[in-house]
Amino acid sequence: MLEVILNGLGGLVAGFQALAMDWRSVVMLIVGGILLYLGIKKDCEPLLLVPIGFGCILVNVPLTDLMAKDGFLRVIYDAGVDTELFPLLIFIGIGAMTDFGPVLANPSTFLLGAAGQFGIFLTLLMALFFGFTKLEAVSIGIIGACDGPTAIYVTSKYAPHLLGAVSVAAYSYMALVPVIQPPIMRALTTKDERETIMKYSARPVSKTTKMLFPLVITILGGLIAPKGLPLLGSIMLGNLMRESGVVSRLTKASENEIANVVTLFLGLCIGATMSGAAFLRPQTLIILALGFMAICLDTACGILFAKGMRVLSGGKINPLIGAAGISAFPMAARVVQREGIKYNKKSYLIMHAMGANAGGQIGSVIAAAVMLSVLAGMGIIS
Amino acid sequence: MADEVLAPMPGKIIKILVKPGDDVLEEEEVLFLEAMKMDNPIFAPSSGKVKEILVREGDEVDVDRVLLIIE
Amino acid sequence: MEMDNTTFGLTMLICGMGGTILTLWIMSLVMTALGRLFPEKAEPKKES
Repeated sequence: MLEVILNGLGGLVAGFQALAMDWRSVVMLIVGGILLYLGIKKDCEPLLLVPIGFGCILVNVPLTDLMAKDGFLRVIYDAGVDTELFPLLIFIGIGAMTDFGPVLANPSTFLLGAAGQFGIFLTLLMALFFGFTKLEAVSIGIIGACDGPTAIYVTSKYAPHLLGAVSVAAYSYMALVPVIQPPIMRALTTKDERETIMKYSARPVSKTTKMLFPLVITILGGLIAPKGLPLLGSIMLGNLMRESGVVSRLTKASENEIANVVTLFLGLCIGATMSGAAFLRPQTLIILALGFMAICLDTACGILFAKGMRVLSGGKINPLIGAAGISAFPMAARVVQREGIKYNKKSYLIMHAMGANAGGQIGSVIAAAVMLSVLAGMGIIS
Repeated sequence: MADEVLAPMPGKIIKILVKPGDDVLEEEEVLFLEAMKMDNPIFAPSSGKVKEILVREGDEVDVDRVLLIIE
Repeated sequence: MEMDNTTFGLTMLICGMGGTILTLWIMSLVMTALGRLFPEKAEPKKES
């Protein structure tokens, strides 16, 4: 009888015993706490960091089996992350929220959106050099897409064991864009270049063009890079719904209810992958470092490309807008505007920067799509 | 010599910081224009006295609209 | 499929960067063409 009681009480103490035996769980509980702190107190992407932080805490309390076969986090993970459904649903919402007017008014900004993705491939090379496998390197490189759903889509499919590290890197560095970009912007440009004033010429885009855009891009992009059609199609579906103006209930649901519910579940699932055993490895630190490099290289390539465009245009382009060619929308555009006005009080780069930024949104999806399709062509993925 | 302050892009006048008759310095902030969800400061192109303000807070303006005149 | 990492990395670099910029360039041309085909009308028109 006494033995039974002791066993029963043992069930209440086992958690503490298990925690004491694995220092990694303790560390991850602290990491979860740090993420919550950053999200709540520092207002750093709270919509993601709060669920991620809490998910991280949940999964690192021992003996709870939340990610075991029938655990509730596992059920959500299998339903939405394993199936790629969650990032795609968020993408529909992003498409519904984005106005591609500035890009369409000046389609050459698409090219800045392309240059801003070069960091992806450069980082991929560096990751290979550090000993990661091919598919791991692909998932690390995609941090350079500066786009949460894209990074999650690629990583959960091809290197799911890295999902925690890649997501934390992707979202942290997106939030740090205002800190990371300005020094690079300054270092790669001359005073004259920085002070260039770009006149805003309002070239209005017809409603028809704005509606044909998502349709054309989906079909064209899907033909060129079929492996990326889920990503491309989702964002363009959202955009078409927005521009058509006839399904505002669906558009609003995509931007709001759907995006919000999925963000909650997705964050929780990402946190749920951050068990001590998976996260606390030297690899994670390297991934965080490479992710940082990816954003820096994106910014640098965007600016250098814009410098080239400046030469070709006879000095009319301010290379600072190249930094907005990344997919961190609209943060990067605002950074460019602030830096532009810092160097020249008469310079208002925001409209051009917004065009480049929206171009970067498309660019990152196309880059991921191209990358996956090339991999398929090489036979590395099916 | 009168200097016109033009709107660099379309947006809404959020805040006007000066009155007619005020002295302003070159590169001093004279008003805020909201565009692309950002409050953009507009600076005086030269020093002088504000002669006339041609817009009100809340006005929607197009690019190149004359906002104020300094002399 | 066995392939050494350097080959893989450089292929990804060339095909990836090249493919991305080419695709976006083509798209920019298509969008420019569409913009010309369907210009914004100056006076408001009844949409059918």
